[in-house]
Amino acid sequence: MKKIPFLLGVLALAFISSCSSDNAAIDTEYPVIDITAANSFPIQCSTIERGKTFTFKASFNDNVELGSYSLDIHHNFDHHTHSTEVNTCETDAVKKPLNPMLFINNYTIPKGAKSYEATAQITIPADVDPGDYHFMIRLTDKEGWQTLKGLSIKIL
Amino acid sequence: MKNAQFLYWKYCFLLVGLLISSEVVSQNKPSEKKPEIKELNEVIVNGNAVEKRKKEESLNVETVNSSFIQRNLGGSLMQSLQKLPGVKTISIGSGGSKPLIRGLSFNQVIVVENGLKHEGQQWGADHGLEIDQYAVNRVEIIKGPSSFIYGSDAVGGAVNIKPLPLPSKNSFGGSVDLTGKSNNALFGSSFNLYGRNENWFFDSRLTTMDYGDYRVPTDVVHVYSYSVPLYKNHLRNTAGRELDFHLSTGYSGEKLKSVFYFSNVHTKSGFFANAHGLEPRNVDIELHDESSRDILMPYQQVNHLKVSNTTSFNLGNHAFETQIGFQKNFRREWSHYVNHGYMPPIYPDDMYAPKDLERQYDKDVWSFSAKDEFAINRHKITIGTNVVGQENAIGGWSFLIPAFTQFNAGLFAYNKIELNEKWFLHGAVRYDYGTIKMKSYYDWFESPVSENNQTQLEYLQRSDDLTKTFNSFTWSAGVNYNPGNLTLKANLGSSFRMPIAKELASNGVNYHYFRFEKGNPNLDAERSYQLDLGMEWQQHNWSFQLTPFVNYFPNFIYLNPTSAHDIYYGAGNQVFEYEQSKVFRYGAELQTRYYFLKSLSAEIAAEYLYSEQKSGSKKGYTLPFSPPPSVLFGLNYEPQTGFLKDSYFSFDYRFTAEQNNIVPPEKKTAESHVFNIALGTKIKTGKENISINFQIQNLFNTKYLNHTSFYRLIELPEAGRNIIVSMKIPFSISR
Repeated sequence: MKKIPFLLGVLALAFISSCSSDNAAIDTEYPVIDITAANSFPIQCSTIERGKTFTFKASFNDNVELGSYSLDIHHNFDHHTHSTEVNTCETDAVKKPLNPMLFINNYTIPKGAKSYEATAQITIPADVDPGDYHFMIRLTDKEGWQTLKGLSIKIL
Repeated sequence: MKNAQFLYWKYCFLLVGLLISSEVVSQNKPSEKKPEIKELNEVIVNGNAVEKRKKEESLNVETVNSSFIQRNLGGSLMQSLQKLPGVKTISIGSGGSKPLIRGLSFNQVIVVENGLKHEGQQWGADHGLEIDQYAVNRVEIIKGPSSFIYGSDAVGGAVNIKPLPLPSKNSFGGSVDLTGKSNNALFGSSFNLYGRNENWFFDSRLTTMDYGDYRVPTDVVHVYSYSVPLYKNHLRNTAGRELDFHLSTGYSGEKLKSVFYFSNVHTKSGFFANAHGLEPRNVDIELHDESSRDILMPYQQVNHLKVSNTTSFNLGNHAFETQIGFQKNFRREWSHYVNHGYMPPIYPDDMYAPKDLERQYDKDVWSFSAKDEFAINRHKITIGTNVVGQENAIGGWSFLIPAFTQFNAGLFAYNKIELNEKWFLHGAVRYDYGTIKMKSYYDWFESPVSENNQTQLEYLQRSDDLTKTFNSFTWSAGVNYNPGNLTLKANLGSSFRMPIAKELASNGVNYHYFRFEKGNPNLDAERSYQLDLGMEWQQHNWSFQLTPFVNYFPNFIYLNPTSAHDIYYGAGNQVFEYEQSKVFRYGAELQTRYYFLKSLSAEIAAEYLYSEQKSGSKKGYTLPFSPPPSVLFGLNYEPQTGFLKDSYFSFDYRFTAEQNNIVPPEKKTAESHVFNIALGTKIKTGKENISINFQIQNLFNTKYLNHTSFYRLIELPEAGRNIIVSMKIPFSISR
């Protein structure tokens, strides 16, 4: 009689363990944004001139397959955020935005790519407010893992 | 690697099973353990009633009372119940949490208070349960699908907060509860007053709580890649306040009982200031760190009002019960205006919403239910119906979900057959109808839209006028077999859940996690099939309980992280979109207690859960917020002394395994070892017993992460050492 609970326990456990998983290894790695190459632009504390077009350059890597990326330039006149980088840049005094530069765009990456050299042309209108800005790079892989890079830049 | 971990846990369970079976053989010192008798607010409830319920219920039910809550007092109700295996929480800071039963939460677990389904904004990760834990006397937790009783949403389980027992006849009295906590410098108090003559009674309560920022054992945290320094270990701006009022009053006679419940729960609590908005933010450190008790932006204010009446009466063989209820949940989230997407950089003066009101949700719920219980020979039959209508308005300058109205109605029949003292059979069927009507919404600002190389400015539409209707038939069947010390149960049941407005039509930014969330209007009602088994052995000096389950969802609703970004409202943030996938889950809880002496006992409580998506974009991945396996080892010493009553000293060690089973955007969580001690006693003064409880949570100030915390994604560690002192001083005024 006393063995009954034990036997039942073992049965229950055998039942549970029989449902073992057979799935292949799943991807749990984040993609990587690399801006250490000499021609990467912008990098932390870069400056960009109004009325000109610059070329964004960075290299992306993933263990399985890259997804897509987005770029976003928004003002930091209120010093609301810092960057993901270790070194800090000199900032102007806090000020109110009048006509700040706003740029948001997303970009595709060719299917199946594990590494990708990203380039994009971005034009800075001549009439935007100069000052401190943030340059955000958001990179996903196919599974939806995302890596962020927030850079402090200046528009002159 | 994953298989190795799986095997490890399998053997852990087997080992514990073996240990217990060896105890069966070795135990030979039976000691008299009297049935537990608990005084509940002047009414004596025999511990046997709970045992009886367990033996006659085919679903797995855990029942705890207010003294359990007092001994394990956490920052909120669910945090106080976390010691139960299979019950975890998603905690939002130190004062709020939501239930996580066997890995399911949000709208998959329902909370019932005084018979009324609690309706707040439970879909939100930042939403805590609006329940005053001082007002809770008895809680039943159903770990399994309970849709056949409660209708839509009770897929994962139910937390049923029972009505307070009525005061005894011709009594007048009350109690004062005082609580202090070191970690967040909390001071709480609750004042209770009750009275009753022959048939008329009232029971009232006023609770206040005031706490500061909670402290963590680290001085820097990494919010995604952004490092944030903390001042004196304080998690900036996590202070809060709470003010609650309860009143129940009515008539209790031999044939008729009618009770009115009225409660209002109000909380104001801050969010960690560095992680709210579109990206991790710098804050005015001087302003924020000046005081650890002020609540600055971002913060939330929630008010939950409930009014209901429950009337029961007997007519012949029939016991009827009706309930009418009204609830109003009003939640506001305040944060500095941050223009995102193409919102103007300066907040317009003529806007419909105040400048810092980021979100506002206003929910009104009317409900009616009726049931009839009667017996025919060995059949105990319950038939019932419920009808619920709700209206949801939105406000604030940001958009996440549309305004909507919803209507649900259900009809059920439940039959419990007592074949003999040992065998019980259960069968239940239920039909539900639900319809949800969402309202369209347009942005209040223009965004540039490019078409055929022409760029135009447009007010973008965020949501459509959309009406969805769902029907569902659910069933449940179970059996109990209770030969002597052994209790066996099995239950097979189906459950369903109607998709909610957030899942069907969300289209905005989640400011806590910096992501863009998108609904899917084509979702079906979620279905679930679950097999529950239960085995319990009760003897003089030891007890053992094992509750395994297997669960399958053909169409689990899941917020899937995609590789896309939203370039309008989402300001370049990652898009998360609702999808449905097949999900297979299984797990078990194990509890055992052994009495070495009448006053000395040891307990082990373990839980294991495995979830896997079997189809869809995240095939092979687990579900979000999957609690890792954990084992709690406890030692209890309860000396019998003359002067002091119910003294106890307990020492707990909780080992939580690492969680490597993750799904984007989660992170792997390392294992943790946390120690707690608790002691308390009751001092007899006149007719009443003053109870004093003392606890140290996280004894060694261990820095660890909780995989299921709201703040896990942004890498915030759990609270450091916390010393909790609470005291309950009852009084009675005899007539």
